[in-house]
Amino acid sequence: MEKKQVIISIGREFASAGHEIAEILAKKFELPLYDYHIMREVAARKNVKVENIEPYDELPNRVLSRTVKGHSSSPHVNIAQMQFDFLRKKADEGESFVVVGRCAEEVLKGNKGLITIFILGDMDKKVVRVMKYHDMTEKKAIKFIESQSKKRKAYHNYFCDTKWGDSRNYEICINSSKLGIDATVDLLERYIKQRIEEM
Amino acid sequence: MLAQILAVTIFLVMFIMIITEKIERHYVTLGCGLATLILVFGLAMKDLHAIWETLNIAPMFTLGFWYEAGTASESTSGINWATIIFIAGMMIMVEGMAKAGFFRWLCMAIAKMVKFQTVPIFLTFMIMSAVLAMFIDSITVILFLAAVTVELAQLLKFNPIPMILAEIFCANLGGSATMCGDPPNIIIGTSLGYSFSDFIMNTGVIAGISLIVVVLYFYIVFRKQLVAGVASEELDTTKCANKIENKKGFIISCIIFGVAIVLLVTHAQTGLTVATIGLFISIVTLIAAGKSAFELLKKVDYKTILFFVGLFVVVGGLEQTGTLEIIAAFIGKISGGNMYLMLAIIIWISGIASAFIDNIPFAATMIPVIKSLAATQGIDLSVLAWALAMGTDVGGSATPIGASANVVGTSVAAKEGYPIGWGKYCKYMVPATIIVMVISMLIVWMRYL
Repeated sequence: MEKKQVIISIGREFASAGHEIAEILAKKFELPLYDYHIMREVAARKNVKVENIEPYDELPNRVLSRTVKGHSSSPHVNIAQMQFDFLRKKADEGESFVVVGRCAEEVLKGNKGLITIFILGDMDKKVVRVMKYHDMTEKKAIKFIESQSKKRKAYHNYFCDTKWGDSRNYEICINSSKLGIDATVDLLERYIKQRIEEM
Repeated sequence: MLAQILAVTIFLVMFIMIITEKIERHYVTLGCGLATLILVFGLAMKDLHAIWETLNIAPMFTLGFWYEAGTASESTSGINWATIIFIAGMMIMVEGMAKAGFFRWLCMAIAKMVKFQTVPIFLTFMIMSAVLAMFIDSITVILFLAAVTVELAQLLKFNPIPMILAEIFCANLGGSATMCGDPPNIIIGTSLGYSFSDFIMNTGVIAGISLIVVVLYFYIVFRKQLVAGVASEELDTTKCANKIENKKGFIISCIIFGVAIVLLVTHAQTGLTVATIGLFISIVTLIAAGKSAFELLKKVDYKTILFFVGLFVVVGGLEQTGTLEIIAAFIGKISGGNMYLMLAIIIWISGIASAFIDNIPFAATMIPVIKSLAATQGIDLSVLAWALAMGTDVGGSATPIGASANVVGTSVAAKEGYPIGWGKYCKYMVPATIIVMVISMLIVWMRYL
């Protein structure tokens, strides 16, 4: 039987454990994970240093820019498009993978193997997580979460017609703070398996 | 008064919408043009003659539109069809040249000629960029030059960003040298009746002197970054293939380009207008293309042509309502009749405005202003025209969004993994722009006052 193509797109709020959940799911389904490491692959393909393009990863276009005949003066836009092209190419080649963020739910829309998930979390749990991983005070952690979420939202909404975190754009939106990471992964794993069966 | 308020409001809405890019700019100008026709001329002025004058169709059916015996000038009011026909014609010719592989061949031939050494490539590409941009739109020049630069950078292992920045600047500067180099110059030339040689003898001289200075400037600021990471004996230049697939097409496109240059340079003598030259060149290119003619026509940037049509109508609204005369009177008042100050204002305001907004609508708006200034202040119109041309053409180089070549150049670089942010761009380009603006101002002062 022909192997089905599966692309699991995981959008996430900052500190919602979305990345960690994506990593576990990638291992469980034995799929490559595309996150910020995409930049390395893109840089390797272009034969340039990753440091050239890394600073523009998943950042909104906040600079004054102009477009001429489809060419944008914004490095943010060009680097984002390079990542989107990378994802589209992988999808067109029939590869199965897990992708974190990068507007994948919209960039890959229409792909039959696409499963779209959005992970959110309660603020108090997110604060604890940031305080632990980034060694911050509670006040600083809240500010950090807010600024990071704002950036992610602006990045997504700049490139997509749909709104970041709007439940209508995803098959499942789940609050990882309610069940914890393991139980959330179990639930998503069951859902994904069922979806694959029905593909 | 109501007509003026409406005309200004429509103009401002158009500018803001162009900057925000929410709607494609040709829809913006066409929509605003239609609003000008209905609201300003129809409802407020109730003047059908103004509509007819702004649409400017009648002159196309006169001999003077196609052939000028002596010096005639296009009406400044309304749609400048000569500019539109010329730009469309050149677009078709450039598409034909690109299809034949002319630009890539030229870039690689020069790189080969200088034995793939970075500093000579840097110097020759700057000059080539300026020379090509004198006759061809800067977008096409930079599109090919930047792509080849990145290719050579990967082969020779050097950072292509300095070279691309210098090429962008020189393309904009080269465009200022001739009547057909940059859209503002075409509009200025056709609107005010100046010839190709008028531009060469005035803005061309300024651009030539400036080019020597900026080549030196860019060499000084970038010389340490132009070191190749590969020794010349280790080079594998076979990767830079430079074979022309269609030799016949290539030779024909070279001949057409040569003919276009000759016709443009001699148009004051032959009496052929730029509209005639544009139409002739496009017809010859299409005939030479044979079966590919339809393909070439499809590649023509109709959006830009429609953008021009709408833009000229909106500016016509400002002109017919007398709004631009108010601006001219204001400039005359603040300069207090001081010619030095007036020219400095024209150059620097045009330059600063063009660094942030599209220089085409700016130039189109300023032409009636300088015409009014010349009439009321007793200053030679041509001097104001050269000041306006240099300000709008050069000022656009200062920021990544100032001119089309900047956008295309930085975009090509970013797509190949060499992003250029505002900081990096302005660090090198703002000083270069200021240098050329100062040179332009000094030459205009010394030569004409």
